Amino acid sequence: MNTYIKLYLLLVRTSIRSRMQYRFNFAFGTILAAFIQLSEFLMIAIVLAKFGAVRGWSVHEVGYLFAVMTLSKMLYRTFADEVHHLERYLVEGELDQLLTKPLPVLLSLMPRGFRLMPGELLQGGGILAWALGAMLAGGQVTWWAVPQTLFAVLTGAVVLFAIGLATATCGFWTTRISMLQNMTEDAAQTAARYPLTLYPGWMSGLLLTALPVGLVNYVPALYILRGELGAWVFPLLAAAACLAVLLALRFWKFGISKYQSTGS
Amino acid sequence: MISFRTRLFKSNPRLYSALAAKAYARNIQYRGSHLLHNFASAVFGYLYACIWIGLGRDHSLGEYGILGMMQYITFTQASLWISSFTTPGLGIPQSVRTGQIALDLMRPVHLFAHLAAKEWGQIGYQFLYKSIPVYVIMLLALGLTPAHHGTTLPIALVALAGSAYLSICIGYLIGVSALWTTESSWLHWGNQALMNLLAGFFIPLQWLPEWLQAIAWASPYPFMLYAPTQLYLRKEHPIVLLGTLAWCAALTLTCLLATRMLRHKVEVQGG
Repeated sequence: MNTYIKLYLLLVRTSIRSRMQYRFNFAFGTILAAFIQLSEFLMIAIVLAKFGAVRGWSVHEVGYLFAVMTLSKMLYRTFADEVHHLERYLVEGELDQLLTKPLPVLLSLMPRGFRLMPGELLQGGGILAWALGAMLAGGQVTWWAVPQTLFAVLTGAVVLFAIGLATATCGFWTTRISMLQNMTEDAAQTAARYPLTLYPGWMSGLLLTALPVGLVNYVPALYILRGELGAWVFPLLAAAACLAVLLALRFWKFGISKYQSTGS
Repeated sequence: MISFRTRLFKSNPRLYSALAAKAYARNIQYRGSHLLHNFASAVFGYLYACIWIGLGRDHSLGEYGILGMMQYITFTQASLWISSFTTPGLGIPQSVRTGQIALDLMRPVHLFAHLAAKEWGQIGYQFLYKSIPVYVIMLLALGLTPAHHGTTLPIALVALAGSAYLSICIGYLIGVSALWTTESSWLHWGNQALMNLLAGFFIPLQWLPEWLQAIAWASPYPFMLYAPTQLYLRKEHPIVLLGTLAWCAALTLTCLLATRMLRHKVEVQGG
């Protein structure tokens, strides 16, 4: 295990160094990533500025939902970006190379695309500080909200990773997974930036169970910001994240046993 | 240089139509897979419509109302395949990385016209196999009929043709920037973000703050989605097409100037 961790860290360092060969691209990409994130939040902020609360959720509360989702996604994509891009490995037959290495495939896959995402960190962190700051000043939440939110970001990242891994695993049968990712990752994460009460019952149910993105930000926000549910939310989030990742890993293991190379 | 290249534009109409036809034919090989992709696109559109339906339960949606916003989102989501989801950088960044750009510039045809012709084929395909299915799926899913019984569709399609050309020009300029930056995918994503914000994809422009409206109207983006949608909903006079035309002319000139600069900058990478 210790060897695996050392190896993982070495591979991560190598990945970072290779990216830093193109410093201008890194700096430019960081600035534009922050701009893109900001423009996405602006769309939500404009809706809130125009209509006020959304189903009883204030602009700060919706900002909180957006920020927690952004930070969880940032963590997931920092460590497991290549899982999201598995289609490329399947289509071009690159996965064959990874299979020949004396390492678990996930361990050699994940560090390859280790991605520093300071743009998303600054933007997500900035909106979180703004939203929590306003709610602290208004007495809606206490300082306990800060560690509780960090916990929600961590468990949320694990849930998003599990969804991403399960979706990528489908590629062992279908090869192409981008359409599926559009629905299970992109659309689901976009939906969870708003309170789930905005959607029809079947959709909010789906976003809490089969595609549990609601566990990333909505469920923790119900307790942390609005005092609903109870403190049992945190063990529930931890258990749900563990269960989701275990199921995803088992599915991955089963899927990789069915892998057939597409190369010639 | 520009006038000489302009002559080349005129002299090759058959070549351009052949390039467009080939791009269309290449895509049609994957139409089954792409038709499935439309489902994902329609899911996104349905999601955005749900947001407006949910907001409409608590608030008045102004001159649009819930039904109007459902029509609005249906049209913008279907139009994205014409005015936004074009080939990133028209494929120039890959040409720069592989060195193919040098060969492309040696062809006896202007680079902009060559790539634009290919992109017209791509857009034609996307219109038939993506925009129309997404439009129909969303109408069915939301229980809608075409706005004004479809009588406004012809003028909206004229506006969309203009927006497709604007999209080609912007894609070309993003692609050309790869000569200086090597990697222009971030500019492509930045352009997509601006489309979402300034083209009125999700929020009608009149609901933006005034400062943002001013920025939007100083750019070509409103003519790429908002104007065609307003024409579709019969909320705008067709005179707005003059704006589309003006931006088409301005961006064409910019693309020609960019090509001239590109010819001086080009260097072959790799061996």
